[in-house]
Amino acid sequence: MGLSRRKVLAGGGTALGTFLIGGRWVDASPKTARELGFTPQVLTAAECEALEVTGDALVPGALKAGLAPYIDSQLALGSGSKLIAKYLGVDPLGQKGFYRAIADNLIINLAHPDTTAEQLTGSMASDSVSEWAGPPASYAFFVLRADALDVTYGTPEGFAALNIPYSAHIQPETSW
Amino acid sequence: MSGADTVIVGAGAAGLLLAARLAEAGEKVTVLEAGPERSTQDLISSQIWARKLKWSGPAVEEAGNHPVGHAFNAGSGTGGSAVHHYGVWLRLHESDFTVATDHGVGLDWPLSYEELRPHYDRIQTEVGISGDEEQEIWRPKGADYPMPSLPIFSQGKVIQEGFNAKGKRTAPLPLAINSRPYKGRASCLYDGWCDAGCPIGALANPLVTWLPRATAAGVKLVHDARVIRVERNANNPQQIDQVRYLKDGQVNTLKANRFIIAAFTVQTARILLSSADDDRPAPGNRFDQLGRYLTSHPAGTVFGLFEKETQPHLGVTGGQLLSHDDYDDKSAPGGFGSSQWLIANAIKPHDLLGYGTSRPDIIGPQLKPWLAKAAKHIGNMTLVAEDIARPDNRITLSKNADQDGIPLAHTYHDLSADLISRWDQRMAEGQAIFRAAGATDVWQGPRVPMHIMGGTVMGRDEKQSVTDSFGRVHDTDNLFVAGPSLFPSTGAVNPTFTLTALADRQADHLIG
Ligand SMILES: Cc1cc2nc3c(=O)[nH]c(=O)nc-3n(C[C@H](O)[C@H](O)[C@H](O)COP(=O)(O)OP(=O)(O)OC[C@H]3O[C@@H](n4cnc5c(N)ncnc54)[C@H](O)[C@@H]3O)c2cc1C
Ligand code: SF4
Repeated sequence: MGLSRRKVLAGGGTALGTFLIGGRWVDASPKTARELGFTPQVLTAAECEALEVTGDALVPGALKAGLAPYIDSQLALGSGSKLIAKYLGVDPLGQKGFYRAIADNLIINLAHPDTTAEQLTGSMASDSVSEWAGPPASYAFFVLRADALDVTYGTPEGFAALNIPYSAHIQPETSW
Repeated sequence: MSGADTVIVGAGAAGLLLAARLAEAGEKVTVLEAGPERSTQDLISSQIWARKLKWSGPAVEEAGNHPVGHAFNAGSGTGGSAVHHYGVWLRLHESDFTVATDHGVGLDWPLSYEELRPHYDRIQTEVGISGDEEQEIWRPKGADYPMPSLPIFSQGKVIQEGFNAKGKRTAPLPLAINSRPYKGRASCLYDGWCDAGCPIGALANPLVTWLPRATAAGVKLVHDARVIRVERNANNPQQIDQVRYLKDGQVNTLKANRFIIAAFTVQTARILLSSADDDRPAPGNRFDQLGRYLTSHPAGTVFGLFEKETQPHLGVTGGQLLSHDDYDDKSAPGGFGSSQWLIANAIKPHDLLGYGTSRPDIIGPQLKPWLAKAAKHIGNMTLVAEDIARPDNRITLSKNADQDGIPLAHTYHDLSADLISRWDQRMAEGQAIFRAAGATDVWQGPRVPMHIMGGTVMGRDEKQSVTDSFGRVHDTDNLFVAGPSLFPSTGAVNPTFTLTALADRQADHLIG
């Protein structure tokens, strides 16, 4: 009985996310968008790289799961952003500035030849990054880790990687 | 738009009930809803998609030592926040109605449990609640639940052992979720997607309870219509003539004989505060009471990893078991206030309430093996503690305005030291219960605000309240408020059963 109810409800309409890939708008998951070389809409390529490298140090797999296209495409939605930052005190309209500020700090610190992303995340957790301005590093750590968890484990594929049955009533599309 | 008998602002838990009841009694009812139209097909099983259901209107400013968490606690669109609420439906205890008389703190209700009881009873039959009144020994008097309780899965059984070891009692959690088909709605599948909204109608959200009745009775619903203020009759200021609202970038007005503001706590106060005129205070604010007595339950989660398998993905988000053992002795040593445990919530690996998020110390290569273990062995339970209404905790209009030039809502909310002590005490006890249940690793989340209440509280005395016990704003004839903003005290139970019973009482009063 349960399965048939699920089937009836499967396939509810949801809008796919779109990414600019090779000059065309393409419906894709963040993972595919990254694989195909998406063009960011809000962040710079350097900001994307800094966020995804750091996010991957926190949650391995986040880079390939498409952390950068996920964040960038949500920021492009403005007030419609579904990033968890909204719950953590960053209003969607202020999120663009928030992520750019974090990314700029990451770029500066990752530019040091002897700083790895792993070392940087350790210092972020304890607010002991030497060159850091704007939102506290530990707060940035928490938000970025939560985003990385979302994109890596908040999907049917992520649940499968942890052997958790997803059991959707209405299956989400693969992109946001 | 032509006038209506009644205009209701907000298509949430309270607004849609009132719309259905008044229209069924023959009234012409229009509901203005700030958010978009939603159907059950919008309730996609994903914690990320679920964020679309939250309030997406103008931001709310927050201050104090326990800010109210509007971004998480408020929703918008058809069904309001209740569209993805968890269905934990509990009655306030008798002692919650008289905290000022009994303890000299906060405010009393202007009505007793006995006066609300018939409405709790009627609503639980209309909506459907699954529970076990015999095991729930702390339950105030009332009719038996219409459905048997939901099953207890491994997580509940494992944690229950800890309560037993500590000599504390548990009972199946009463939920507005079907344990069997009820009134044409399906029974629960125990997949834990309640936070994303239940599209099969097992959970009593307004889309499947009041909306079909409201629609059948001819209620007109206008979406993406954000009410700014209500306006008084120039010759008879007791009388409200019209609401002013924004739709498609235009300012519109709508006249009616009666207005009910059911826009959830913060926006309800914002609308009323914005309704002051140059020569007259806002409705209900002759004595500077509007926006005061803002409350929010201090809540928190205890987590633990157990040797036994817990199957934490099974069940419903609200929990499987309840403990009210510590509820009634509000002045017990260690702090002040009632508290309850909602035990064994179905839980996901990510998102604000997820276990992955609860352990920011686990990163890098350790993370995946830890998540995989937690996916099978984690247990969790949620503490809900009481807040006490204080006049300085309040909603005011900010100096900052939204993009339409309307002042934002500013909220200030502090918890007193004795309420914080009670929270600390109970969380420590919760950790001890988990250890007694065999947890090998136990930790707790931060103190978080759960539910937002007060701001337009009911009372007998206009000098200490905004409305009478039927939600009529004191210095008006035809302006009413509905929802948890009316609560003079909070108890430590989730508010939706109570606000629904209260709206049912209001409907009876208005129909006459
Ligand atoms: C995640 C979550 C879980 C919850 N779980 C539980 C639970 O298990 N048990 C429980 O008892 N409670 C629970 N709650 C709380 C419950 O959802 C609320 O108590 C309840 O929905 C409040 O009802 P309401 O009618 O006052 O407001 P809502 O249901 O929020 O409806 C208010 C409506 O008013 C609209 N509105 C606001 N401003 C305007 C305006 N200016 N013009 C027009 N319309 C406007 C909003 O868009 C909204 O649709 C939960 C809440 C959340 C967020
Ligand atoms: S667990 Fe039950 S109530 Fe919750 S979404 Fe699934 S079917 Fe609905």
